Amino acid sequence: MKIQKIINHLAVITTFAAAGSALAAKPGDRLSFISCPIVRDTASVPCWLTEYDGELYYMGIQTDVSAPWQPPYLGHKVLVEATVSDKPRICGGIVLEPINSTVMPELDDSCNTMLPAEDKYQIDFNPRPPGPSSGRLAFDRPPPNAPAEPAELPDHQTFEITFDFDRSISFRHPGVMMRIVNYAQAVNAQTIEVTGRRGATLLSTGETITEGAAIAQRRAEEVASLLRGVGLKANVSMKWSDTPMDADGVEDWKNRSVTVVVSK
Amino acid sequence: MKHLIESARRQVPRTDRRRLSVLSAMVALCMTGTVIAADAGHSPARQWWSPGDGAMLPAKPEYANGFGRFALVNTDGPIDTRKHPFFEPLGINGRACVTCHQPSDAMSISVETIQQRWRETQGADPLFAAVDGMNCPHLPPEKPESHSLLLERGLIRVFLPWPPKAADGSAVKPEFDIEVVRDPTGCNLHSEYGLYSENPTISVYRRPRPVINMRYVTASKFGVSNFIGKNGTLAAINPDTGKPVNMNLMADAREATVRTQAASAASGHLQAARALTPAELDAIEKFEMQLYGAQIESSGAGRLDEAGGPQALGPMAMANGRDGLLGNNLSNYVFPIGEGWYDLPDGKDADESARNAFRESVARGHDAFFYRTFWIKDSMHINSVGLGNPIKRTCATCHGMHMTAMDTANGWMDLGTTNLPWALEEPANPWNKRKAQMPLFKVTCHADQPPHPFLGRVIYTQDPGRALISGKCDDVGAIVIQQFRGLSARAPYFSNGSAASLREVVDYYDRRYNIQYSEQEKQDLVNFLSVL
Repeated sequence: MKIQKIINHLAVITTFAAAGSALAAKPGDRLSFISCPIVRDTASVPCWLTEYDGELYYMGIQTDVSAPWQPPYLGHKVLVEATVSDKPRICGGIVLEPINSTVMPELDDSCNTMLPAEDKYQIDFNPRPPGPSSGRLAFDRPPPNAPAEPAELPDHQTFEITFDFDRSISFRHPGVMMRIVNYAQAVNAQTIEVTGRRGATLLSTGETITEGAAIAQRRAEEVASLLRGVGLKANVSMKWSDTPMDADGVEDWKNRSVTVVVSK
Repeated sequence: MKHLIESARRQVPRTDRRRLSVLSAMVALCMTGTVIAADAGHSPARQWWSPGDGAMLPAKPEYANGFGRFALVNTDGPIDTRKHPFFEPLGINGRACVTCHQPSDAMSISVETIQQRWRETQGADPLFAAVDGMNCPHLPPEKPESHSLLLERGLIRVFLPWPPKAADGSAVKPEFDIEVVRDPTGCNLHSEYGLYSENPTISVYRRPRPVINMRYVTASKFGVSNFIGKNGTLAAINPDTGKPVNMNLMADAREATVRTQAASAASGHLQAARALTPAELDAIEKFEMQLYGAQIESSGAGRLDEAGGPQALGPMAMANGRDGLLGNNLSNYVFPIGEGWYDLPDGKDADESARNAFRESVARGHDAFFYRTFWIKDSMHINSVGLGNPIKRTCATCHGMHMTAMDTANGWMDLGTTNLPWALEEPANPWNKRKAQMPLFKVTCHADQPPHPFLGRVIYTQDPGRALISGKCDDVGAIVIQQFRGLSARAPYFSNGSAASLREVVDYYDRRYNIQYSEQEKQDLVNFLSVL
């Protein structure tokens, strides 16, 4: 695992060098950058693009709330942390996959590009049309946990909650929070430890961006407050670190996080 | 008469047309009274229901309105209103729940009815009580201008503590500061009732919501968990069951259940000196949960509940329908209307041809609602919940629940009806003699909070909506979407009564989202909404 990280890190450095010489990124390259999102209409659903270092990248299409990737906002820049895919271009852009993107909090009026539909850009893998669905979500959700006897559950379980850049609890989190609550109730948890972290991201330019100083505390406090508020009997403790996590350009988004350890 | 009104309308400046609309409404009301008399063969419908009236509420009463007839269905059969806490005055001001939830008005109250009541009682009806039937309690009660928001827009004063208090009475720490920028009612700067008084209070003005189809409105089968789907915070809890609720009951979701709402309304709107007893709460809840309502007859489309007609129409469809079901799909539909009103032949006479043409318009309106895409942009709690900004979707994206067109659980959203720049404002210029009716607040999000994603750190709003309860910057101007049923009986629309007619509702959306509806689409949508 560690070796793989080093390799990936080298890939970032390579990418950085390539970016400096304005060469297009290659499949497998990792890219981390902040740019304006662009929405392009199509005959079906719109697709989301972004430009970086003179190249157009494809981020994804509009689907529904079940999608593993959520589109960004016009009016804001987007932080993209992704890998360049070898798939054919979509909507004119090089495909980034997998991709993590997060809306940067401050408004930016310069991010306002909407492109009209053109016949040459077609979405033929649309899991959800722009109107009514066929009666199911665009992406299958994992099947609900089968009810299990408390005896079959482990004595403790760790949950990772990740966040948008400089943001805390949001629409992304009811699912994971309910998993924590369900487990805690099932094992009659006695202790819950909440650890908040402050993230940082190494951009492909070599610059590192860091979240606000108080974000780790805010995340820990909000998660702890929610777990207390929902009525769990367990003792909820929390800690956080204002020191930003190390950023290496490889899945740095995972460091914008809270870890919750629930124990019997 | 209609011709005279239209003629007068053309002669007056645009800025005075709203006043003329009031006159038109009063004239229309007189005509409505005639229609009621002519329809005496139907259920013994009554136009105004006074508290303590003591009459029986029929099982299936029908009431005329400008688009046809609205009907209720009491699935428990006729309701004896004698000593019924929904119908009896419970407080010092003589009001009952029924005062603002009139059977003829889809269990809300229309501005036409309010104006008629003012005329008939010279403002003495308990409806106009100082506590919230006036723009502010300190105003002279005999003057209609003291009640202007109720008389012209059908608005009741809602006064809320600032900072907010949670359901358990604890203080909520707001994410923003709020200032009064404009105070046309005099209430928000008043030394006793205002924001800077000993008990800091914010007054906003909202329409009474229709108390029909509450089984749907309170359904918790879809999207309800301990955490609010739109922002991940804690959902409100039913104090009787300990379970989370859908938070779709009120404009700002401040009450969890019909019981807590009734208890709060009794002490607030009714000024009851005592708390409602468990038996009274039981009776109110039982009544509201068995009551259904919808338009049952259309002036254009004819009877809406005829055999083989559209499945979604009429109050029995509501009584028999499934609640808590997502309808923005081709399995359930929001409003299933079937195929029977598409491509109708010419009728055997002019009346039937006109009826068929209207029915086809309704079907087209349904399709405009369900299939017509447009760009939904900068709308908090829809663009911000994982779909992106903008999204190319339809009306049914937000209005997605089967049979009501409410949003799914925790259905508050900022469509711009109360936030600038989209809220209805009086043009400020030397030629406009009208003054702004609504208060205006300046909200400044704290520096340690992220800004509102679409409005930034400084927001001007006529009503902060959900934010007055949650204290969250992102919730400023977010209002819980309400059901579409019985619209013909209860104008004006939106929480702040800013759309005087169904056409103004459609026009608002057209402007807000640059939809570019054709004139035909607009009329089709109005016709569609009118039969719900």
